Amino acid sequence: MPTARYIANDKLMPWLLSLTETRQVLAPVQAGGQTLFAPLTADSQLDINGLADASAKAALLPRCETLFEFHYSKSEGIPSKTELEVRETLPDQDTFLFGARPCDAKGFTVFDRVYDGGTRRDIYYCTRRDKTIVATLACTDPADTCFCNRVGGGPGDTDGSDILFTPVDGGYVIEPVTERGEAFLAEQPLVEAEDRKEEARKVREKVAEAMPDEGSLGGAKGEVLELFDDKEFWGDVTAKCLSCGACSYLCPTCYCFNMTDESNGDDGVRVRTWDNCMSFQFTLEGSGHNPRDGKAQRMRNRIGHKFSYYPELHDGNLACVGCGRCIVHCPVSMDVRAIVAQARDRALAKQEHAND
Amino acid sequence: MSVNEGKELRIIGFLCNWCSYAGADTAGVGRFAQPTDLRIVRLPCTGRINPLFIVRAFMNGADGVLVSGCHPRDCHYSEGNFYARRRLEVLKALLPVIGVDPGRFEYTWVSASEGQRWRSVVTSFTEQVHALGPMPSFKSGTSLDMCLCQMDQTQVL
Amino acid sequence: MASSIDDLKSAIKKALPDLDMVIAWAAGPDPLSHTPLFITEEADIERIEWDPRCSQNLAGYLPGLRGKKVGIVVKGCDARSLVELLQEKLIDREDVTIFGLHCTGAVDARTARKALGSLRGLESVSIDGGTASFSVSGESKTLPLAGVLQKKCFTCTGADAEVCDHFIGEHGQPPQVTDIPATTLEELQAMSMEERLHFWEDQMSRCIRCYACRSACPLCVCQDHCAAQSREPHWVDQTDHPREKLMFQAIHALHTAGRCTECGECERACPMGLPIMTLKQALNLSIQDLFDYKAGTDPDQAPPLFEFREEEKNIKERDW
Repeated sequence: MPTARYIANDKLMPWLLSLTETRQVLAPVQAGGQTLFAPLTADSQLDINGLADASAKAALLPRCETLFEFHYSKSEGIPSKTELEVRETLPDQDTFLFGARPCDAKGFTVFDRVYDGGTRRDIYYCTRRDKTIVATLACTDPADTCFCNRVGGGPGDTDGSDILFTPVDGGYVIEPVTERGEAFLAEQPLVEAEDRKEEARKVREKVAEAMPDEGSLGGAKGEVLELFDDKEFWGDVTAKCLSCGACSYLCPTCYCFNMTDESNGDDGVRVRTWDNCMSFQFTLEGSGHNPRDGKAQRMRNRIGHKFSYYPELHDGNLACVGCGRCIVHCPVSMDVRAIVAQARDRALAKQEHAND
Repeated sequence: MSVNEGKELRIIGFLCNWCSYAGADTAGVGRFAQPTDLRIVRLPCTGRINPLFIVRAFMNGADGVLVSGCHPRDCHYSEGNFYARRRLEVLKALLPVIGVDPGRFEYTWVSASEGQRWRSVVTSFTEQVHALGPMPSFKSGTSLDMCLCQMDQTQVL
Repeated sequence: MASSIDDLKSAIKKALPDLDMVIAWAAGPDPLSHTPLFITEEADIERIEWDPRCSQNLAGYLPGLRGKKVGIVVKGCDARSLVELLQEKLIDREDVTIFGLHCTGAVDARTARKALGSLRGLESVSIDGGTASFSVSGESKTLPLAGVLQKKCFTCTGADAEVCDHFIGEHGQPPQVTDIPATTLEELQAMSMEERLHFWEDQMSRCIRCYACRSACPLCVCQDHCAAQSREPHWVDQTDHPREKLMFQAIHALHTAGRCTECGECERACPMGLPIMTLKQALNLSIQDLFDYKAGTDPDQAPPLFEFREEEKNIKERDW
């Protein structure tokens, strides 16, 4: 019978550290002036005020993941023959991811549909997903750049999480979301707190209600697609874009990757690394042709993917969770909310004039 | 990170074909004894040297790098070594900032007939590098080490 | 006294009919950082903002707009990038109309955000003497400049755009910053070689290789065809090793040696807050010593690595 538990503020860090004996614990810590997810150690400065600067996606999709290692060697008897040995390198570490936000966890559901899609399962992603318990921390102070409520999420949402921590007076109410979460909590020395569930629910409700409601950004998929050939619109919207890639790499839902072999003499690895659609090389073909050789086309693809193509393929679910990191960290302050809103206005205006 | 375990350190020499490479050959023909740590990469001219060759060599584990070319005004291509002199002087300012001891990198001019000079340059530079010891390693090992998880696991994701 | 925004707006209004566009700053989603504004119609001029939150260097957009008649608003440091672009003939002087400003300092959004806490209700920012005033919901919060300005402002070599067509307002001095914290270069100088290597290894472990530093650099014109992303030659490998990322920083520093004007965009753009201007600062100091040269001062000079002298008076070669 799933039940709520409680942990006091001053017991949190010692408990998390105790978990490091049996698994890796990933948590938001201070690192060089930023708050980033890293393996927790006794020296770590845990930082759970606000949103971490980078998303937690590297817990399931590392920046650089080794798919297999290979070794070339000369055959014993026949010197002219070269042997190739290939060894798969699957992730093998149990992980407790603490302090992800509801937007980070919802990002994992975006990956699940792609990497764990029924008949097609990515063995690396799925192994990591199975070995990771996602313990999400509900938000109490959304930033001005947070807009999870406009893309089908919320500051207390549980999509993609195994466990939800809600800040209450003196500590956290801990509630299981999935069976895996409950199985984990059942083994932990945490006090039961069924009587504080309501308090936690009220905290989450209050935060959700306080978020400004500027209208949903979902449902724009038709409009975004309609502007596909509108060069002027995408040109204007991307005039200031630097085409860097900070947005893609910090985004909790971006999942595109590149695969390369890197070797040193006879030994090497095949690695899968984050790729980013803002880069010129993203669609550069072997022939030299590049269907998206300008930043306007690349941004059109980025917005299109998140707000149109992905929802089209996946039951209307957006590939944007409203964390706002792309807005906060963009060197030129591109604003995805504004771009989608402008796209809708422009498409609607065109429709109106079409009837003139 | 030093690629060589043992007595010898790994010193890379970028030599211009016309003067220094020939000068090294002259030293060889004269059978001068000198340390064997230095391994030569032949180039048409020191002007061909991209300072990044030297940076990459250090990143890959070289313990020392020596560049040698024709004397200024004697460049086989007239001007290559003038450009090299400027670029390599600027490179010298970068190396200590990223943690490569400036004593690990030198550039010099050795002409084709200066076998004796080549011997003494190599000997004194090798001694200089040995005094500094092997190049410090990265905590994360090599790229392959890192990919195969043989590294310090406390880095951020 | 910073240049007046009204004077700037009227100068732009006058020049706009002869131009394809004017690039200035406007308010954006970040209350501490104004965003580029591409003005094509007179109505756009109203959106212009000019205050210490205009930190971004707009000069980087010019090479991509070559062939068009572009107006651009520049602070002192931005103008030096512009001069560098002119030196290298990456832009045509006759196609650029430069509106030069006197700048009193540019806010570092990251440090200012920490110093202020909440940004809700931030209305305006101004700099007077040695402090910055942030007007938040009618109340004024005053903070010392050292805690809120971009690091490049601490060592500003000239707050006025020297090369320009229209100078707005009066010339003045760079911001007076007191209690300047130690620079990363100074911190490194106190470390051993091995400590320095590990310092960069630690910093670069946070680098996400977004190349925002490269994209924001006004001098990086290779952009889509950058050497760091080539497989042939294989300068940098695809793994996440900090060494590869440090190698990229070495590439960036050496490719901008003698050209970098320390506009600070690389550090401002870095989403991880890495102190990457350090390498370029070190090279600039060396170039100053070796060639008596400072980038971005004279459009008729050439960057020192583009040329040579038979006798180099400041190069002291080693005696073997």
